[in-house]
Amino acid sequence: MTGRPHPGSLPAVALVLVAGVLGVQVAYGGGTFEPLRPADPCATRSVTSAARGIDGLSERLVLLGIDGAACRLHVSREELTLELAQPGTRTDAEIDALHAGLLSAVQRMKDDGSLPPASELVDEALDATDLNAFLEAAIRALPDSLVDATLKTDDVLSRTIDNLDLPKLLTNVDNPSELDQQIDTAVTRAVKESLAARLRDLL
Amino acid sequence: MRRAVAPLLAVTVALVLADSAVVTLALPDILRNLHTSVAQVAWVLISFNLVLGLVAVPMALLFTRSRPRIFCAFGIAVFASASAWCASAPSIEVLLAARCLQALGGAAALIGCLELLVAEYGERRGVAAWVTAGVVGTASGPVVGGLLTQAFSWQAIFVVQVPMAVLAVPAALAVPVVPMPSPDRHRPALRPNLTLALLSAALTAALFLLVLLLVEGWHRSPAAAALAVSVVPVAALAARPLARRLSPPDEVEVAVGCFLIAGGLVGLAIPPSADLAWTIAPQALVGLGLGLTIDRLTSQAMRMRLPRVQHAGWTISARHIGVVVGLALLTPVFTADLHDAQVPAQEAITSLVLDAPLQPQDKIAVARALGHQLSEQRGQVPDLRPAFATLSLSPDERLAGAALERDLHAQLERAATRAFRDSFLVGAGLALLALISVIAPRRRTTS
Repeated sequence: MTGRPHPGSLPAVALVLVAGVLGVQVAYGGGTFEPLRPADPCATRSVTSAARGIDGLSERLVLLGIDGAACRLHVSREELTLELAQPGTRTDAEIDALHAGLLSAVQRMKDDGSLPPASELVDEALDATDLNAFLEAAIRALPDSLVDATLKTDDVLSRTIDNLDLPKLLTNVDNPSELDQQIDTAVTRAVKESLAARLRDLL
Repeated sequence: MRRAVAPLLAVTVALVLADSAVVTLALPDILRNLHTSVAQVAWVLISFNLVLGLVAVPMALLFTRSRPRIFCAFGIAVFASASAWCASAPSIEVLLAARCLQALGGAAALIGCLELLVAEYGERRGVAAWVTAGVVGTASGPVVGGLLTQAFSWQAIFVVQVPMAVLAVPAALAVPVVPMPSPDRHRPALRPNLTLALLSAALTAALFLLVLLLVEGWHRSPAAAALAVSVVPVAALAARPLARRLSPPDEVEVAVGCFLIAGGLVGLAIPPSADLAWTIAPQALVGLGLGLTIDRLTSQAMRMRLPRVQHAGWTISARHIGVVVGLALLTPVFTADLHDAQVPAQEAITSLVLDAPLQPQDKIAVARALGHQLSEQRGQVPDLRPAFATLSLSPDERLAGAALERDLHAQLERAATRAFRDSFLVGAGLALLALISVIAPRRRTTS
């Protein structure tokens, strides 16, 4: 016997269809298909670099430094990076936060043992500098233990950061040669100051 | 020739109503080809619907004072000429003027075809043919437009309409006797027309926004988008057998249709990924809803009301003013959301570039190229491929570069999808309002 369908049949079918479609979509992540949210810059983040030597060290230092600066400024590191990439003058708060962030990045790398000893960086640094050939050969001849005892990587990095003119550095972001020259000057001065301080300690 | 008369008239109805949304997938091409702005190109869609919505009832009044066959043939001829003018428009201003003329001719053709179809088929079958042709045209417009744009050009959309409409002119003149419509005796059916207007606004959200999301947000080709949105007309065709099998009362059928459209729009608002497959089931819900509502409401608005053409005019007016209201409501919502989506998208891109396993100098090169690309394409969802095409990565880094490009593309898809969410939800809200207008208790009439 075939009777007339119940008047509620179509609403019931519709309810099942809509609930089924929306249920499957939500179960597979519907509603959360959104852009990546910036991570908390104050949370500890493991930072890696595809580069080795001084480039790799610099990259890790900058990434950790931006995290620290963003944490101090209560913004995400992405927001700070985009802000710093824009042309224009920087506020004192941004410069201070960046300076403090870089210094705490050196400390963190020292604490977790990811800072390489100075002897690992000397050859690469000498390749990049235009030193007198005899002086360069003499430095290369020094034993690693002596280099590491004389120069501490964390000390050189901290002094470099203190010596850097950060506002000028940020205006030179789009000018690689100016940027390199500014960093070379700051590193050279930091190495000299570190050596002088070491000598003073010894005496 | 006699046998072809009624089908040609039905095709004309479908063509005119397809024109309501046929250019949706062609808008990016028109934007580029006619060197215009986004705001102006939207008027290619709005102008047609606005004019059609405004002139449908006056055309019906005019029809009652004219000779039906001549009136209809003249309307079709104007529509055909205006279509040819659209295809040859050298500027956006000319195209907009041609679209307005197309809507004027289209309104006359729609009104005239109704009476001629009734003369050919009889009252019941003639009205049913007119309503069904309208639903098929409305649902299939974006699909046909997208395929023609991809295969040929946006002009092809208008070119193909010309011979079909030209054939319909002698068909209209060939109808032997057309009884003159009776004088006005009934007031317009407020409730079905209001529901039609609200649903048309909601369906605009479904078709217009989905097409935009697929082409502009997910960077799919017009043909792929057209194939994807073909689910709506196919599901709309499946609705009638379903309703016949379950044979619910008219109000229940329309209420269920509104609910299905609302559910489908919520589904389109929350896809789990940018895979086209995730749009199929929500579109099927929208299509089923469309198939259950539009023809039923149009019939309700015209049933037992005379003169027929004037009530047909009210339904055309309600539908197309609904489309314009939908566009007017949704366009500011999604353009504002698209603008707001830029910051999270840029931050997501920055995050991925900072953490990419590339050499520092390559990261800087990527960042510079991306920055250039983002500022070049401000105001729209950017295409990042040119930024990567200009990079010269070492063989060791090419895999990492390709992975980064994929990840960045995925982030843009996520941002675009998120930007369209609120608009789809507003559309769902409009469909729910339509549902309320169906189930709201009627005022008691005292005898």
